[in-house]
Amino acid sequence: MSLTLEEVEHIASLARLELTAEEKERYRQQLSAILDYARRLQEVDTTGIPPTSSVLPARSRLREDRVEPSLTPAELLRNAPHAEKDQFRVPPVIE
Amino acid sequence: MPEYEAVIGLETHIQLNTTTKIFCGCKADSWFDPPNTNICPVCTGLPGVLPVLNRAVVEKAVLLAAAMHAEIRPVSYFDRKNYFYPDLPKGYQISQFDQSIGKGGYLDLPIPAASAADKQAYTRRVSITKLHMEEDAGKTKNAGGRRFVDFNRCGVPLIEMVTGPDLRSADEAAQYLIRLRQLLRWLGVSEADMEKGHLRCDANVSIRLKGETGLNPKTEIKNVNSIDAVREAIEKEIARQIHETEAGRKIEAWTLEWDEDAGVLRKMRSKETEADYRYFREPDLLAVRLDDAWKQAILRDLPELPLERRARFVAQYGLPEYDADILTAERSLSDYYEAAVKAYGGDPKKVSNWLMNDVLRMLNDAGLKAEDLKLTPAHLAELLKLVDSGKINITTGKALLGKVQESGKSPAAIVEAEGLGLVSDDSAIRAVVEEVLAESPAEVASYKGGKLTLMGWFVGQVMRKMRGKADPNLARQILEELLQ
Repeated sequence: MSLTLEEVEHIASLARLELTAEEKERYRQQLSAILDYARRLQEVDTTGIPPTSSVLPARSRLREDRVEPSLTPAELLRNAPHAEKDQFRVPPVIE
Repeated sequence: MPEYEAVIGLETHIQLNTTTKIFCGCKADSWFDPPNTNICPVCTGLPGVLPVLNRAVVEKAVLLAAAMHAEIRPVSYFDRKNYFYPDLPKGYQISQFDQSIGKGGYLDLPIPAASAADKQAYTRRVSITKLHMEEDAGKTKNAGGRRFVDFNRCGVPLIEMVTGPDLRSADEAAQYLIRLRQLLRWLGVSEADMEKGHLRCDANVSIRLKGETGLNPKTEIKNVNSIDAVREAIEKEIARQIHETEAGRKIEAWTLEWDEDAGVLRKMRSKETEADYRYFREPDLLAVRLDDAWKQAILRDLPELPLERRARFVAQYGLPEYDADILTAERSLSDYYEAAVKAYGGDPKKVSNWLMNDVLRMLNDAGLKAEDLKLTPAHLAELLKLVDSGKINITTGKALLGKVQESGKSPAAIVEAEGLGLVSDDSAIRAVVEEVLAESPAEVASYKGGKLTLMGWFVGQVMRKMRGKADPNLARQILEELLQ
């Protein structure tokens, strides 16, 4: 199993990563190796075994619908590169 | 021109009316709050935090799924929907994908004659293809060439519910939203206020020749936030598609945005590539397991549904559909009506008349719900009985409604205290009649001379002196006796 360069570029663009030509080739090989390794699992006969999402038998813990204290805008925005009027300021988005 | 029909599916996002958000304890409703005040490390996607599912979200989702006749999955999962946008601090939305809480379902939608092309009422079954829980994203706002982000809405619980391509006109789409809004409020799962974004709707629209069964390329209409806007936008889009098709042009899969102010649809920038959300199971949450005991406890709160109650009101109380529809528009009003009918024991239609003419006006004027009234169903029943027995007349009865509502006192107590009852005491009326006759020698003479139509005038005089409280029949009898 070998990923193509186009596939690596697609994955990189989905993750908003900008890669150099050298990185694309290196990641192509590394990702291919990972997929090949995972592919070995496909050799196991899983007929009749339901898909498993989690090996934990537990159920989701649930929270009661009660208000807990929130952060203040100042706390939230402390690490914001740009903030104004108690809000994050971000570059305009072009759809 | 050949006859076309529209094929419409609606995608709705329903904001649940829980107190807190879906995965953290921040207050869910921020309508009146300044930006970034209902936020915490979980809903703003800070590193190292874990979501914890709000029990009330599952319960409300189950109620809605049951009301939509959906299969409720005993085990469902949350998944990550990955995309980048400034209003999504984690870089993914926690949603449900292939194993959502609800599977299938439908709504039998009554289409009133007024909304039908041939003016015949009918029922349209609308299938549900998707019903799942998810978190909302934040809000971005452009101002003065800059873009601001408010995370208050991040993590607000939503149900996404999508219909099959089953609606056939803009009116049907509007009816679906009207009934959905009614149902959501009835169940108490959402305030369903479209203006506040509690109920958001995107519409998928295509056309085909009448009689065809396949699906043609569709357009998606976004940003329609009132029922009238949905109807208008869909109508315009159907007309545009027919026009394009007749002109020999192909319909392309555009995304259109409804411009409310201009009343036109604008093409949004089309996406170069199909979105790839790379859904996978949310590793920070375990399966949602709904055991029988919990499910039954939730469904104990499932009320009789509005359309079922509407049909029952027609069958059980012999109400016209018009009355039944209005009385079941809202759950507390329909509960009020039934309680009043029971307490009254008389003609259910009479109770309906009083409710629809007078009590509804009172509710609308004061912006109240029936359950908030001080005028209880028992009060209304008592008042109707007072009218039936002749203790008060209808005019007094109507005036009493407001007095009971103001004071919270029973109608009988008010009638007693304010002396509103009809005077049926022979001697009291007789005294007034004698007074009237003494003051009107000319009229008495002409009555005795044969102008019998003056009787009405005499009764009127007596009633006026007694401020309408005289029993008019008794007054007439006494007048006739004394004028002989």
